[in-house]
Amino acid sequence: MDVNFRKIDIDAFDEEILQESELYEQDPRDPAQALDEMKQIQGAVRSCLAKNDTVGALSAVLEHAPYGPTMEDAKIVSLQALMTILNSTKATEIPAAVKSLSQDSQDTLMKYLYKGMAMTGSADTNASVLLTWHEKLTEVAGTGCIVRTMTDRRTV
Amino acid sequence: MSNVLRPYLAAVRSTLTAALTLENFSSQVVERHNKPEVETGGSKEVLLNPLIISRNENERVLIEPSVNSIRLSIKIKQADEIERILCHKFTRFMMQRAESFIVLRRKPVPGYDISFLITNTHSETMLKHKIVDFIIQFMEEVDKEISEMKLSLNARARIVAESYLTAVRSNHCFKVNILLIS
Repeated sequence: MDVNFRKIDIDAFDEEILQESELYEQDPRDPAQALDEMKQIQGAVRSCLAKNDTVGALSAVLEHAPYGPTMEDAKIVSLQALMTILNSTKATEIPAAVKSLSQDSQDTLMKYLYKGMAMTGSADTNASVLLTWHEKLTEVAGTGCIVRTMTDRRTV
Repeated sequence: MSNVLRPYLAAVRSTLTAALTLENFSSQVVERHNKPEVETGGSKEVLLNPLIISRNENERVLIEPSVNSIRLSIKIKQADEIERILCHKFTRFMMQRAESFIVLRRKPVPGYDISFLITNTHSETMLKHKIVDFIIQFMEEVDKEISEMKLSLNARARIVAESYLTAVRSNHCFKVNILLIS
């Protein structure tokens, strides 16, 4: 007797089933447009870093962070831009830089820190730098920041 | 605690504390069932973003939170073949006795060496900060344990080789000494 019908996930055919897209609002930007924007920001970040303006560089990336499943290219560029900032900041300057960010930017920074740690070994991410930033950011923003990273569906 | 390990464990501690906000949650599909949602994975809305904390490519922790349970998986450092075997034996020993550890999972998540499953029942019957302390202490101890086992294994192998080879033939002593030195 054929029992394969038992393996069909009938809940997937429910009319009221929740779709991934209903969990959050899509990024309004077009993927190509977002990629262009992130490349411009990457340039802006370099000039900010040349002027020693860490906070300006950080907020430039974090306020325009791309999210959603279609933005893979833009996400990679933004992660690279952020990693250049994180790697070039001295450990003693981190608390001041983190404090001057807005709460939304702090949450986005936390998302990037976890993303960077998830990609250790493949990209130019340095785990010890990320861990130092994570510690300082948790001191300033608390565990609430981590909870918001876990619950926010707009993954960077 | 060494200075290198501290930020890693601090990150795991704060993430675990943040993730351990669990509540009782019945199954949305079957009436009068209550399952850890992170294991069934039946519904997207109750699963939260999984987070990875890594120290390097070979040492990382995966935390998968959900509404009523979290799963924490650890990848333990394994530098060479002996450490890989010891780690496998050690985690297997623990996982066969998983019920004594209460929060331990019987099987690790693919890609990791050992997994813990903490449900809302655990966080209600036990103190939350004690659970966090237990996991952190486990992570501290496991590296130490494996390197100690490796040392004692090597020492034992040395003694065995010595007593075996001296018994074989006494005029081979010279060769044996060379073998032991190398």
